[in-house]
Order: sequence, then structure tokens, then C-alpha cells
Amino acid sequence: MNKELEHKFVTELQDNQNIVHKVCTLYTNDRDSHNDLFQEITIQLWKAYPKFRGEAKFSTWMYRVALNTAITLYRKNKKRIDTADYESIIFKIKADEYDETEELQLKLMYKAVKQLGDVDKALVFLYLEDKNYTEISDTLGISEVNARVKMNRIKTKLRTILKP
Amino acid sequence: MTDELELLKKDWQKKEFDIPKLSYEDIHKMIWKKSSSVVKWILIISILEFVLPQFLYFLPGMEDSMQVYKNLGVSRYFLGLSISYYAVVFYFIYQFYLRFKEISVLDNSKNLMRKIIKTRRTVKYYVIFSLAISTLFFFAIIMAIYLNNDITHAFPEIGNRLKDFSPDKLKVTLMISLGIFGLVFIAGLSLFYFLLYGLLLGKLKKNYTELSRLEI
Repeated sequence: MNKELEHKFVTELQDNQNIVHKVCTLYTNDRDSHNDLFQEITIQLWKAYPKFRGEAKFSTWMYRVALNTAITLYRKNKKRIDTADYESIIFKIKADEYDETEELQLKLMYKAVKQLGDVDKALVFLYLEDKNYTEISDTLGISEVNARVKMNRIKTKLRTILKP
Repeated sequence: MTDELELLKKDWQKKEFDIPKLSYEDIHKMIWKKSSSVVKWILIISILEFVLPQFLYFLPGMEDSMQVYKNLGVSRYFLGLSISYYAVVFYFIYQFYLRFKEISVLDNSKNLMRKIIKTRRTVKYYVIFSLAISTLFFFAIIMAIYLNNDITHAFPEIGNRLKDFSPDKLKVTLMISLGIFGLVFIAGLSLFYFLLYGLLLGKLKKNYTELSRLEI
């Protein structure tokens, strides 16, 4: 039974691993921390798996566990702020070349998102994953109205990062 | 901005990140690794906080001090204090257990954070209680020395070694050194606890405030 559960879990996670990779990319700055966070999320997913029982889609359930692990349970990314500061210096100089190509614009957007705080990142992540505000508010535990308000503030914040 | 975010969204959804895909074996290996989550650390540290003070009684020399309490005439109070102390400790352990069990990664983020903070708060109250008891304990011993009329008898070893000391002088010296030791002991422990939890839960608390700020 246990072996069967194990096999089912690993297969499902393998199929959906892109979601976890995306969370790790947002919340870490180097390959080692990326792998470390991936591992912690995997452990948390596995521990919670017996309670999952297929009530929701595997991927829906993954979002919650992965984000909870990244913003609440995981505590190793201490140097994050320094790196973000560093990035913002380079980034603000480059912002002059704004509008040039779509590629560059995207690159700048990614950098801007990475400079956001943990909670803001979680909102942006769910937004980018095309979750509606009901799902976003359910996952984070805030009201739908506040999820919208917060998202608007994040948009303003991103704008100031992009055009200082 | 909205357009830019929409652009990002499109790109994001088709994006296969520049990360090598993990194989079945990679993931399978991971599920048996040890977690290093905040919750696990709180559990470990809390157990240590409940258990470690109890080991003090097994230290060599503890029997001698029991004799000292007898000599000072406080052993009766000491027993009473111990019984109430353990009653309260078990109450804290029970509360801790209840709250710890409530923590679930399947909860929404805000609830999860709130429950972790609540669990941690139970331990914090326990620590404050322990520190208060230690203070009381030091104070009681100092008082007992002060009220004792036959100090060389209460501390036979010290009394024999320091025969030339006048009992009064010995009394004051003992009281002062115990007072200083007690202060250092309690200040050291408090500093350790609060630093430890500050390091452990700093990020979590910041995120919790951030999530709660809008909800009024």
C-alpha cells in the first residue's frame, strides 16, 4: 500500500514539477538554494499527501503547499535582501533602455518581480499562473477584495521599480 | 503596466525554466530526506526547553544541595514548589501539543502563520514562567541564608574551609555571590531564548504582518 502511494506521489510530482520549479525560481537566487527549497517542498508535499485524497486537483493542492513552504516554513534564504539590492542597482541603470525589445522588457519584469517581498511574490505568482481572485484569497487567507487591493498596489510598486 | 504584466503572464505560462528536470529517482530520494522547516525547529527547541531543566536534578552535587535545603530549613517549601512547578509544566506541554497538532501545511497561508505563532507563544509563556520560577528560587535561597542563624552548619563544606571567616561575613558573601550568579543565569537564558526565536521566526512574523495589515 505504502509503496503504491509512494509511486503515485512521485509520478504525479514528476509530472507537475514545473510548478515547484517556478516557486523556487521566484524565491531563491542560486542553484543550491533552489534545490534546497525544492527538496523542502517535496518533503512537505509528501507529508501532506495522505491527507490529500484526490479531493482537489493535484496541481491545485500543490500551489498551496509549495507557497506555504516558501513563505512560511522555509527559513534559509537570509542573504536574499543583499542580492536584491545588488540587482536593483544594476537594474535601475538598465531601465533607461526600456521599451527596446520585448525580450528586454520581460527580463526587466522578472527582475522587478524578484525584488518584491515574500507575500507580494506569492500574489504575483498566483496571478501569473492565471488563478482568479477567489483562488488567490483562498490560498493566502485574505479576503477577495483585499487580494485585489494588494494586487493593484503591487502593480504600482512594479511600475516604480521599472521607471524610477 | 497591466499590458506588461499580461505580457509577463503569457511568457510565464509557456516558460520551461532553465532547470534540469528531476527524474523519478531524484524525487523518490527526496521524500525520505529530513525536513528543516521552522515547525520542526520549534518542536525540537521546545522539547529541549521542556526536558533540559529537568536534567539539572541529575547533576552531580544536586544531592548535596538537597542536603543544603534541608539544613536551611526550606526543603518543605522546595517540595511544594516542585509539585506546583510540574503541574504547570505539564499544562504547558499539553497546550503545546494541542496547538502543534493544529499546524497544517494545507491551511491557507495566514492561518498557517497564525497557528505557528500561537504555538510558539505557548512556549514563550512557558519560558517566562520558567524564568520567573528560577528568579523566585534564587530569591528564596538568598532569603533562607539571610534568615539562617547557623550558616556554617548549613554549608558544612564551605564552613570548614573558611573557618577564619566570621559567619556574618560568610552570609553576606554567599548572598551576594548567589545574587550575581542568579542574575547572570537568568539574563543569559532570556537573551538566548529571545535571540533564538527572533532568528527563527523573524521572517514568518514579517510575512504575517504583511498579510494581516489589510484585514481590519
